[in-house]
Amino acid sequence: MLPGDFEFKRLKPSKKQMVLLSIAGFFGLLVFSGIVIVLTFVLTAWMNGQPIIFANEGPEQPIVFPHKKHVEELGMDCTFCHRGVDKEAAAHVPTTGLCMTCHSAVGDGLDGITKMRSLYEDDRSIHWIRVHRVPDHVHFVHEAHIRYFSEKEGVEASAVCSKCHGDVANMEEVHGTEDGRVKQVEPLKMGHCVDCHKQHNAPTDCATCHY
Amino acid sequence: MAQESHKWGMVIDIDRCTGCNACVIACQSENNIPINLEAHFNQRRAIQWIRIERYWEGEFPNVKARFIPIICQHCGNAPCEPVCPVYATYHNNEGLNVQVYNRCVGTRFCANGCPYHVRFFNFWEPEWPESLKNQLNPDVTVRSRGIMEKCTFCVQRIRRATRLADRDSVELEDGDRALNPACVNSCATNGLIFGDWNDPDSQINQIKNKEMQEGGRAFGLLENLGTSPNVIYLKQVDESAEGHHGH
Amino acid sequence: MPLTRRQFLTLMGGSAGAAVLFQACGIPEKELLIDSSVEMPEDLVTGLDNWYATTFQDGLSSQGIVVRIMEGRAKKVEGNTDHPLNRGAHSAQAEAMLQALYHPDRISSPLVRTGTRGSGEFREISWEDAIARLASVFDNLSDTNKAVMLTDIVNGNEKLVLDKFVSSTGIRQVTFEPVEHTNLLKAVDHVFGQKNIPDFDIDNASLILSFGCDFLDTWVSPTRYSRGYGQFRQGHHHRGKLIHIESRFSTTAANADEWVYVNPGTEGMVAMSIMHEMASHGEIDTSHFSQSDLYKFEKYTPEFVSSLSGVSVETIQHIAEEFSHSDHPLAIGGDSASAHTNGLQNLIAIYSLNLAVNNIGKSGGIIFNPEPPIAGLESNQPNSSQELMAIVDEVKSGEIELLLVKDADLYYGLPDSMGFKNNYSNVPMIVSFGNMMDDTTSIADLILPQNSLLEDWGTDVPLAGPGYQTVGFQQPVVRPYFESRGQNLGTKGFSDVLMTTAQVMNVDLELGADTYKDVLQNTARELYELNRGDINGSKYSSFQSFWNALLARGGWWDHNYKSNHSFDFGGLVDIDEPSFHGNGSFHLIPFYSSAFHDGKYAYLPWMQNLPDPLSTAVWETWVEMNYKEAESMDISEGDVIEIRSSNGLMIKALAWPNPATPPGILGVPMGQGHRDGGRYSSGRGSNVLSVLGLNFDSQTGALAWSSTKVNITASGENIRLPKLENSVPDFPRDEHNHVVEITNGKSSKGH
Repeated sequence: MLPGDFEFKRLKPSKKQMVLLSIAGFFGLLVFSGIVIVLTFVLTAWMNGQPIIFANEGPEQPIVFPHKKHVEELGMDCTFCHRGVDKEAAAHVPTTGLCMTCHSAVGDGLDGITKMRSLYEDDRSIHWIRVHRVPDHVHFVHEAHIRYFSEKEGVEASAVCSKCHGDVANMEEVHGTEDGRVKQVEPLKMGHCVDCHKQHNAPTDCATCHY
Repeated sequence: MAQESHKWGMVIDIDRCTGCNACVIACQSENNIPINLEAHFNQRRAIQWIRIERYWEGEFPNVKARFIPIICQHCGNAPCEPVCPVYATYHNNEGLNVQVYNRCVGTRFCANGCPYHVRFFNFWEPEWPESLKNQLNPDVTVRSRGIMEKCTFCVQRIRRATRLADRDSVELEDGDRALNPACVNSCATNGLIFGDWNDPDSQINQIKNKEMQEGGRAFGLLENLGTSPNVIYLKQVDESAEGHHGH
Repeated sequence: MPLTRRQFLTLMGGSAGAAVLFQACGIPEKELLIDSSVEMPEDLVTGLDNWYATTFQDGLSSQGIVVRIMEGRAKKVEGNTDHPLNRGAHSAQAEAMLQALYHPDRISSPLVRTGTRGSGEFREISWEDAIARLASVFDNLSDTNKAVMLTDIVNGNEKLVLDKFVSSTGIRQVTFEPVEHTNLLKAVDHVFGQKNIPDFDIDNASLILSFGCDFLDTWVSPTRYSRGYGQFRQGHHHRGKLIHIESRFSTTAANADEWVYVNPGTEGMVAMSIMHEMASHGEIDTSHFSQSDLYKFEKYTPEFVSSLSGVSVETIQHIAEEFSHSDHPLAIGGDSASAHTNGLQNLIAIYSLNLAVNNIGKSGGIIFNPEPPIAGLESNQPNSSQELMAIVDEVKSGEIELLLVKDADLYYGLPDSMGFKNNYSNVPMIVSFGNMMDDTTSIADLILPQNSLLEDWGTDVPLAGPGYQTVGFQQPVVRPYFESRGQNLGTKGFSDVLMTTAQVMNVDLELGADTYKDVLQNTARELYELNRGDINGSKYSSFQSFWNALLARGGWWDHNYKSNHSFDFGGLVDIDEPSFHGNGSFHLIPFYSSAFHDGKYAYLPWMQNLPDPLSTAVWETWVEMNYKEAESMDISEGDVIEIRSSNGLMIKALAWPNPATPPGILGVPMGQGHRDGGRYSSGRGSNVLSVLGLNFDSQTGALAWSSTKVNITASGENIRLPKLENSVPDFPRDEHNHVVEITNGKSSKGH
């Protein structure tokens, strides 16, 4: 043998080693398939827009706005405040100026009202936290959906909203808890959109929404 | 335009085109195309959904330069479509060759297949200084790094115009500026005309009927490849030309 | 869920599922905020677009534009279909006004210099302070005559306010364009007796003879001319023919049916020779020519002119024949034909060709522009370079105490040999109204940034109108971008600043108005009372509704109010042989860049990435040269070429050898080579204007910017010329597989 030459040594595991190796291999496979199964679930759930780990409770808003009070008790229509909804793409959150048409007179002493008034006087906006959001490559237009349901199917404008947004009218945050916050109830994933589009014979061409 | 389904198309008259490039910037502005930097040109990665190609013929003093605007031909038989492994590009029922950004995984097979070189890959995340972002068109998705993009015939305008016509219960008008792609509206010489092939009275059909006749000027770009484009070109007229073909 | 599928898949591939879950919970916070503002205009609906009309002034002409506004931001520019000049089309420059509005390097408040000049060190001050400083400079002048206001060519109410300001403060006013149009205006005045540029009815012409002017890309009003060109080509039963005579192969030459190379400076002689040929065949209309005029072209026989101009006798003869037999002939000229020591004479001869076929006021001919409906709105006339040189001489000798600069980039546009760059420090006070740090603004002591086009009021009476009375209106289509900085910072309208300064100085401008908008309304009221026009005051019940209609429509025009086309011809003149500056072996022809024009649009990134029509080059300065000549000199594309004029000045440009440039000619685009001007243009390329020799037109004093002879040397360096076109050699190709198809039109029924 010349210096530097390498002799291959045939690996001959003992029986004990073979047993250990097969046990390790078995558990390794088990762990791997476990990961795959978990990920499969996670992926499917995510694709369907279901909450994965955390419960979907809706974010904490800067002002605890009682939708129930306004809609259920006072009978206001969604479009009274969300004025853009039957006009164009976005529904719009109302300006504080609009709030003040009533709340310059009513609602004295309520925390939210006091906060809103002071912001109004300081000429500052309220930064609401968005609850419903579709990705940038989706061009969703509220107006077309409201129009379709109200004109073609005779659904009242405000009833159309609940198709995607759930019963916002009865969402009322309970102080100090996470209960009753305005939250996303429908997945708002593509499957959800397409299902509905198919049901109503609406176009399902990709370029209807993605461009 | 009373058709149920549309087949959008365009007529490009090379005899009117002066090569001024107004369409290129109109497109860049409408479709949120990133600023093409010097390096992008040097690496042949500049994105221009519409571009003007210039071809030389002869040399001084008998020299000619020919201009031809090139956009996605929205081929009826598009070579880019069957090669996409994820169906991110397909032909829709309105005659558009659609690129679905959220499906695209960036294999670039489609760009290889396209004989017109009108498909562009985003090699970089598009960047604008904060203030210039104010100009971005909210109707058009900003394409991120790693996906293909191309001329859409300004589908966002088609969508808006169709929706508004539907809302107001009126019919889409041929040549409506709200429907026309940005390049068509910018063209000073009327070299670009947009319309619906399914509308027998549309301006593009009238031109086609006239120019498809014997001795007419219509031709399809590289039509011998069998792509059956939705865009037709009208030949440039050169009285001194010997044959019917330039280069 | 903010996680895109793309990100998700990436993460799936890269790391464990847990990472995905954490990523899924992290949403950029600002993406999730919805601003509920305090008040919002009624028409502000997310997703709803409004189009507002305004006017884009570009040098001698203008375009009516409409701007798409969504949520208070300008998104898109398109042509105003009602505007008589562009009728719905618009140029790339008009589109780029969006970037002028949102340019990241705009000046956002008045500035006062703190460092040495040119160091770029400034301090923000309030408008109140800035105007007080300006007023005190005026008060401390030893003689008001020692203050000079330099502007671009202005018209409309801006000119009205400027005139009043200048006359009531006693300062001087000079207009400055890097490439002046003095010769063009003087020639039009001489031939047609007109103070403004007539409309050329390209639409209906059947033969166009153009000399030196790249009217399809950059000259005077390219959008309007291109609109006509489309009609000219395919709008009629007979396709029009374009013969272009120029020393360089320009975009218009590329589009011409026939491009004729002419030796620089001999364009006028060719025109004279064409008239000579027409006369010798008895095919000249003599109604405008006196007997002495007819003798003037006697000596310009085709043989004589051919030897000087390099245009063959046959070519001159056939042009003369076609021109005289055409139904609607039209001759135009400018740019390089006018940029010689005999420039005025050249243009007089060229425009006289129209008299030789008597196409004045006729379809397909020359349509005069009438006076504006309200006196005082007409554009001011350009000053010649010699007049500017006189100002620079005063700067040198320290006689100028105050230089006010508005849209006039002297530092960039004047040839170096005039000496402004070395002597500006003799001026104790330079005030700039620029809103970008252009080369002149960066050496200013006080900067009063003006609004950008889309933020400002204005009226526009173009120097090159549509052939009838037109007053375009410019309105702010968006709130000033820097409005949030408060009343005392941000930008303001130029005219408003002048009016406020006058108030502070206790000078009465006698405008009968407090703000520029009021001045505009006074003008509108006069238009209202005219009771005519396409927006007819008599059809509106109140001025307010008329005013609204005026702004919605983008202006006022009366297509029935035309000129009566009576004029006195100033007579033909002899044409001197051109004389050139220097004795280099190459003739340097600077040309208007398709994107930057004379350089004023170089700061806009869209203009930087806009390919030149011929070279398709971007972001750089290149030099066009004949490819055979380049080969013989061992120059290839991208070689850095040093171009030296005999005054010792040098610029560097990248070689672009091509088959179209005539031997002995170097074409260099203007527009690059800014020392300053924001991130997109500063330090990029080189400025061809800087090396020009001081050679002037013998009669008008206009700079003969196309008469410099230069020498070139290759520096040995090679930089890749950035361009759209690929430079990979052609692969063997199917010769039946043509990209551009051409017909000779003979078998076609269509034309």
